[in-house]
Amino acid sequence: MHLEVQNLKKTFGEKQVLHGISFEVKSGKALGLLGRNGAGKTTTIRILMDLFESNEGTIHLNEKPFNPRNHQIGYLPEERGLYPKKKVIDQLLYLGELRGLEKSNLKKNALYWLERLGVTEYKDKKLETLSKGNQQKVQLASTFLCHPEIVILDEPFSGLDPVNSQILKEIIREQIENNKLVIFSSHQMSYVEEFCEEIALIDQGNVVLTGNLNNIKKNFGKNRLVLKLGSHSTLETSDLLNRHFVDLVDHHETKKDRVILKLKSEDKKHEFMKRLSDQALDVELFANYHPSLEDIFIESVGE
Amino acid sequence: MKSFLTVLKFEVMHYLKAKVFQITTLILLAMIIIGLSIPTIMENFNKDDPSEINGENYTESEDVPHYGLYDPEGYIQDINLLSDSFYLGEFTAYTDLSSLKKDINNNTIIGGYALNSPTDYQYIMLNNEMMDNGLYAFEQAYTYVYRVQVLNERNIQYSDVEDILYPNFNVTVDVLGKDSAANYGYTYILVFGLYMIIIMYGQLIATAVASEKSNRTMEILVTSTKTSYLIFGKVIAGAIVSLLQFGILIGAGKMTYALNAAAWDGNLDMIFKIPGEILLQFAAFGILGYLFFTFIFGALGALVSKTEDVNTSATPVTLIFVIVFMIAITGMQNTEGIVLKIASFIPFSSFLAMFVRVSMGSVTWYEVVISLGILAASTYFVGVLASKIYRMGTLMYGNPVKIKDIPKILKSQ
Repeated sequence: MHLEVQNLKKTFGEKQVLHGISFEVKSGKALGLLGRNGAGKTTTIRILMDLFESNEGTIHLNEKPFNPRNHQIGYLPEERGLYPKKKVIDQLLYLGELRGLEKSNLKKNALYWLERLGVTEYKDKKLETLSKGNQQKVQLASTFLCHPEIVILDEPFSGLDPVNSQILKEIIREQIENNKLVIFSSHQMSYVEEFCEEIALIDQGNVVLTGNLNNIKKNFGKNRLVLKLGSHSTLETSDLLNRHFVDLVDHHETKKDRVILKLKSEDKKHEFMKRLSDQALDVELFANYHPSLEDIFIESVGE
Repeated sequence: MKSFLTVLKFEVMHYLKAKVFQITTLILLAMIIIGLSIPTIMENFNKDDPSEINGENYTESEDVPHYGLYDPEGYIQDINLLSDSFYLGEFTAYTDLSSLKKDINNNTIIGGYALNSPTDYQYIMLNNEMMDNGLYAFEQAYTYVYRVQVLNERNIQYSDVEDILYPNFNVTVDVLGKDSAANYGYTYILVFGLYMIIIMYGQLIATAVASEKSNRTMEILVTSTKTSYLIFGKVIAGAIVSLLQFGILIGAGKMTYALNAAAWDGNLDMIFKIPGEILLQFAAFGILGYLFFTFIFGALGALVSKTEDVNTSATPVTLIFVIVFMIAITGMQNTEGIVLKIASFIPFSSFLAMFVRVSMGSVTWYEVVISLGILAASTYFVGVLASKIYRMGTLMYGNPVKIKDIPKILKSQ
């Protein structure tokens, strides 16, 4: 499956919240929608789920217009909740039936996911009597109940305790391995880095960065070096770069006990090394810079 | 369609399993069965232990209150005739006023009457209480005795005069049109029952929708099936359950009344002998009216985020509904009134107003068809609008949405 989102625009009243969102994702891969709070991630997901209509733009699955009702989608909304006064098993069966699952498979699926998430013993209890962690597990069971072909998770890790986060990570990995198409939004970079090959970074309703995460990291690290001098503090190193290396270094910043610098061009790397050596500086660390997703995120959308 | 049936089944079971529904139905059922059996129960008690009243130990005079009569001039010729006509008790004659007052002070007698002339007397009592009937009862008895004595003095039989003053007429009422008076009982019960059901289930549905929003189930639901299935399922489930509840109560009432018919002596026929045709028309107008209002209540529930805001949001519609009920109830006094006639074609009020006219007044068949048609079309329109508002309200949290803002928001989504 190949899902293609093209130029989504959305206005609420006078306010335009999406200015042309585009991205694509294929089965067996996960796309991470990144962005700060209010960037437009949830609105994009709600348009995908047909909760909102976009003012402009198209969504195609395998080159045909995408209608979420024609597919089994495991959707975990940002605003979570189920019926607090209903028995766990009753509401799972109800939601499964609504999604068109056959009765014969439905109970089997429900019991499988309750077992998988370790909450089988609560199946006949009212949801409100369960702890918050177990309620989250029931919510996850309801998401994956229909054995979805597409998985859309809106901020799936928010509010999860470390144990439940670990369980969800395993489930997401399994979904990707099983060739499911996975989209999830988050502002927690570490999770996105763990699963996603593709990312779309949204800021104020615009995609500011999109594509393969490895390529993005590579491009972002291009001409960048990490430098640590044994005999100099970061402040002194910074001062040194300003005084003696202005012709080679475009800009630089300090990060913890080291300095990240960007060369004016790739061919300046050897010359930079040579001049460091000529000045007999105690070079403790000299390496290519591999940016984390957080670095990319902050540099792309940070103020 | 399968999803709709799933929603319907889920919602019906939700109502039936609710303790409030079960307890309310049981209490009302018990009240109807016990209430309608009271005459039979009382009859059985009286039959089982006749010695309580007529036994040897019972002496009527012991329980009968005594009053004193001081009549030195003998204006009353037969004190027994006075006692027979005096419904509060019996009289004892006194020869002096002071012993009468003494007995009143000692509580031997309840009160006394001293005659100064045939038309002038004194009523003596210990404490004057709000509900004291002594004066009225004596005046009634003494008037009778006085009339009998005066007529006897003129050689006229009192019974002859009584026949002239209060003749016995045999009357047969022949109603050519509808007997509004006879239909009043069951029409009132049906109108009031429908009013209660709509108010109760309307609030229940609005609260259920608002709680689905507040507990965030709604977003899961609307991405799992069509919103129209959700709201239609909820509203129609309420209709099925309320019909079931109403049917159980009416059925139990009819059955208990049939079992106790002898004890009631047909006195409640005006309530329980409802013609089938009227029940059919009630079902048609009642169901459409129910759907019309509960769709509105459901949509109102979607406009708020917290269940405690439901009442505030539903107040304008509840007010309209109460006014409609008042029009129908006052219209029952005069089914030809212009207000009732106009109301019987307006969808907000036609389900009650037209039913009152059908049940108690004279109305042509085409008026009924037009009214039903307008109501059915309006109910469909309100249903579609309610499912759009429900969908719109799904993701709107925060302050309740104002009714005037709905068109703008619907357009923007």
